[in-house]
Amino acid sequence: MSESFSRWRARLLPGHIIGEILSKSWIDNAIPFLLLLLSIAFFSPRISDFFAAYSLEDNSRQLGELLLIVLGETIVVLAGGIDLSVGATFAMSTFACLGMFNALGWSVPSVMLGAAAIGGAIGLVNGLLIGYLRLRAFLTSLVTLIIVRAIFDALTLKYQIAVSMPNQKSDLWDFLGNGSWFGVPFSLALAAAIGLLCHITLTRLRLGWHIQAVGGARRSAYNAGIPVGRTVCSTYVLSGVLAALSGALYASRLGAAGSDTGVGLEVAALTAAVLGGVSLGGGRGSVVKGALGALIVTIVQTSLLRLGLGSGASEMILGILLLVAVAIDVKWLKNRLKVLAKVYVAPGYLALPAAEVVDERSPYALNDRLNAVELIGLGEIEGPEDVILDTAGNLYCGSRHGDVIRFFAPDHKKWDVYAHIGGHPLGHAFDRDGNLIVCVSGMGLYKVTPAQEIVKLSDETNRSWLSIIDDSRMRLADDLDIAPDGRIFFSEATVRFDVSEWMVDSLEARPNGRIICYDPRTATTRTVISKLLFPNGICMTLDGQSFLFAESWGCRITRYWFDGPNKGRSQVIMPNLPGYPDNINRSSDGHFWCAFVGMRAPTFDLALRMPGFRKRMVERVPHDDWIYPNMNSGCVIKFDLEGTVRDCLWDRNGVNHPMITSMREHQGHLYLGGSLNNRIGRLKLPGADPEWTGMRSYWQGGGA
Amino acid sequence: MRLNIVIGGLLAMMAFALAALPAHAEFDDGQINKTSALLKGKKVGFVPISMGFDLPQAWYEGLHRAAELYGFEVLVREANWNVQAGAQAINQLIGEKVDVLIIQPPEMLAYAKLVDKANAAGISVIQINLKSPNTGDAYVGANWTEIFKREAQGITAICSRDKGRNGKIALIQGALATSGSQIGSQALKEFFAGRKDIDVVADQAADWDASKARAVAGTILKQHPDLCGFIGFWEVQDIGIAAAIKEAGLQGKVVLVTNGGGEQKSNCANVANGNFTMDVSYDARGQARDLTTVVESLLQNKPAPPGSHPIGIYSPLTNIDKSNAALGCWSLDGVKRDGP
Repeated sequence: MSESFSRWRARLLPGHIIGEILSKSWIDNAIPFLLLLLSIAFFSPRISDFFAAYSLEDNSRQLGELLLIVLGETIVVLAGGIDLSVGATFAMSTFACLGMFNALGWSVPSVMLGAAAIGGAIGLVNGLLIGYLRLRAFLTSLVTLIIVRAIFDALTLKYQIAVSMPNQKSDLWDFLGNGSWFGVPFSLALAAAIGLLCHITLTRLRLGWHIQAVGGARRSAYNAGIPVGRTVCSTYVLSGVLAALSGALYASRLGAAGSDTGVGLEVAALTAAVLGGVSLGGGRGSVVKGALGALIVTIVQTSLLRLGLGSGASEMILGILLLVAVAIDVKWLKNRLKVLAKVYVAPGYLALPAAEVVDERSPYALNDRLNAVELIGLGEIEGPEDVILDTAGNLYCGSRHGDVIRFFAPDHKKWDVYAHIGGHPLGHAFDRDGNLIVCVSGMGLYKVTPAQEIVKLSDETNRSWLSIIDDSRMRLADDLDIAPDGRIFFSEATVRFDVSEWMVDSLEARPNGRIICYDPRTATTRTVISKLLFPNGICMTLDGQSFLFAESWGCRITRYWFDGPNKGRSQVIMPNLPGYPDNINRSSDGHFWCAFVGMRAPTFDLALRMPGFRKRMVERVPHDDWIYPNMNSGCVIKFDLEGTVRDCLWDRNGVNHPMITSMREHQGHLYLGGSLNNRIGRLKLPGADPEWTGMRSYWQGGGA
Repeated sequence: MRLNIVIGGLLAMMAFALAALPAHAEFDDGQINKTSALLKGKKVGFVPISMGFDLPQAWYEGLHRAAELYGFEVLVREANWNVQAGAQAINQLIGEKVDVLIIQPPEMLAYAKLVDKANAAGISVIQINLKSPNTGDAYVGANWTEIFKREAQGITAICSRDKGRNGKIALIQGALATSGSQIGSQALKEFFAGRKDIDVVADQAADWDASKARAVAGTILKQHPDLCGFIGFWEVQDIGIAAAIKEAGLQGKVVLVTNGGGEQKSNCANVANGNFTMDVSYDARGQARDLTTVVESLLQNKPAPPGSHPIGIYSPLTNIDKSNAALGCWSLDGVKRDGP
């Protein structure tokens, strides 16, 4: 009763969605967005015309001017600095614009350029001192604030009247501060356009990545070769220019530059940035966060003014809001990863049929057949998940350092690094022309030419519309095989976990994996079969129209027709394996080898039928103590297309090959690999065809 | 007998007529009903520099008492000395379509465009005690040129070289962008231009802030220890100058002339205790009365279109010095209790 309930619950309620949403990078914006909704909900019933057209237009104009400054401040804070001088830059720009327009009679574009130049110059002073001379940002920008403010005071004392007397009338100038397009004020339109540019720069252009890198970890950025001084300097220049632009709009709107212009503006900008969730320590933030914060500050300020509260009420309430926002933000920052770790794993329901008992009568009976292996590369190789041999007899395997290692024929004692790709190269296969095609976990599908050139074939497939996770990226490309027409079918074991956490996928027991096809004729990649339980080994059958694939947690081997009259059909040929199948490869007598990476155990099988238990375990028990499937012992079987087990090889004392991930037959020997092993085993197969090689079987001996 | 019937009938008619009259009939003097009808339900917006000092509080007393009496609404918005916030408040009030807008511009040009915007939206604009170059519909307040002429005359009468002193005076302006300050500065420049008996040795600004005024005055006194006097621009700010003079131990020796609203504590008390030598009062209590009068006038006689016939109601000025400090001021508490 409770089992069928668990089954239906796991099927109907998509519990994995919560974890996936929390893992998205934009979830940080949820809190300021909530604050925004709260403030709107609080003020709109108290202010009768909150949403009236004139009120929205007014508020948007304020918002536009504040947003320009907040954008600049966000970028500076993102790079790990702080700019306290924006208020003085704003005032200086206002004064200069009035001077240029009224006293000197310049045209509007020249005035804007002049304002930007002044802002840029002040920003440059900040940038040179903070970026290149490495002075402290807080103190330096504070000093700049004081100095520029003093210059402003001195200039206004002398030229206030000359600068304020309007000398020319210009509709364009009035439009800057007071005009609107279809109800959208110019300041907001300008701020939105600049915000879009900044967002694209920050998220997709090199400068933006450099800024975030410098803010996130300055020393590491420096070590990685990023020009830290130049990047930091550019953020201050940008902040200065934006503050100056805002000052120009203000000058146009009010036409005056009194001595209290821009006072306290830096505090408002910082409040907006922090309310929006930009981290003052640097490295975390975005244009959207700054905009959300600016929106909240504008709404609160204008609403409090509208409600007619007494002096100081507005500032006090904003201060309290800032305190609350910072507290929530800090707590969220500290606990987000913890919450995510607990919530992300979403165990599902999986009922495997009862495993058969493995005793002396079973075809899987234990034996010592693998005791007689010769060892290759003992202690010299780490993590040879798959091995393959070419026509000359050289042996190739992957290593966990990201290399493809080549052991030279005929004795496989000397070796070199055939290619350094990265990640952990898993499945190998040779194509018709002797190119070595490799699935590299964490990276994708790669090709190594006989000239040892590395070519990336595919690291991106089509994204499914309903998936929250971006499943166009490949996380765990596992094994592959090549069809007669050159199409490469490879498995991606899971889309929800990276290669460092692949074992957790066993806990989930959800069909998170898929099989993808790369067509070299058109260089396109498409997902062929999805929703598989950790698809692992793939092997072409001899008819050239179908392939076998193993599902590790599904404990079954399926045959799928990709061509011919049965195209699209799949048939489970071995439904209830006693272990977790890994790679599958051809044998010389027309059948197939399959390695078991581990054997099923009753406890774990029972746990898979109790998703509630596994969920509670994930929440309460430390990661290292979670229940996992047995992956300490396995065997190699030979089976045929009817699903009959024809042979079974064990290493009973477990010294050389306790856990086997792949086996490859070549010229009468069987080569064994293990992804956690530090050796390759070679076993002589009595009675096997001494001339049989994989290359000949696939390509009739063609290639290198 | 017939006479009795006639008299009885007349009496009956009179009784009938009397009974037909409403129970509490106010005597209609021919105007009160029209005025009440025109004032009832109207909205008046009020955006002073801040409600936190004596002048706007006095003006507000006049406004809200009239509002309670006649049934119109006064919407006060607190700008808290901030030009930006004040401009925003005015924009909001324009959007709310008030009938009359009263503003006190902290800077000469800050609200100039907003005055025109309000007029264009059909709202009458009154500017109180400080004005933009464009008047709107009315200006109720002081004639700043006249005030500063009086201040200049007052200080010249004491500090002039012709009177035996050294003629050195210092100017401490308010916020340079404020119209009162600009007009004052201009007026003083014209007054002292070409004069041989007075030297303006320093000209600084204190932004209407008493602490800043004190710092500036202190510095000037150090530079010119033999300074004869200061011309201050507002009594609330110039308390700082008085403090600086006291600190330098020169009280009674250095002259300080200023101007203000005439409230007892800020004005007459300071003149009586020697902080100020002379304080030109523009009587904010009287201004409250004037303001209310103009508001009621504009509400009953809406100019068509608004802004077409601006008027100026300039406040009478009184020079307060030791001779009339006892009775020359009004008290804010009294005004709050009994009205202006």
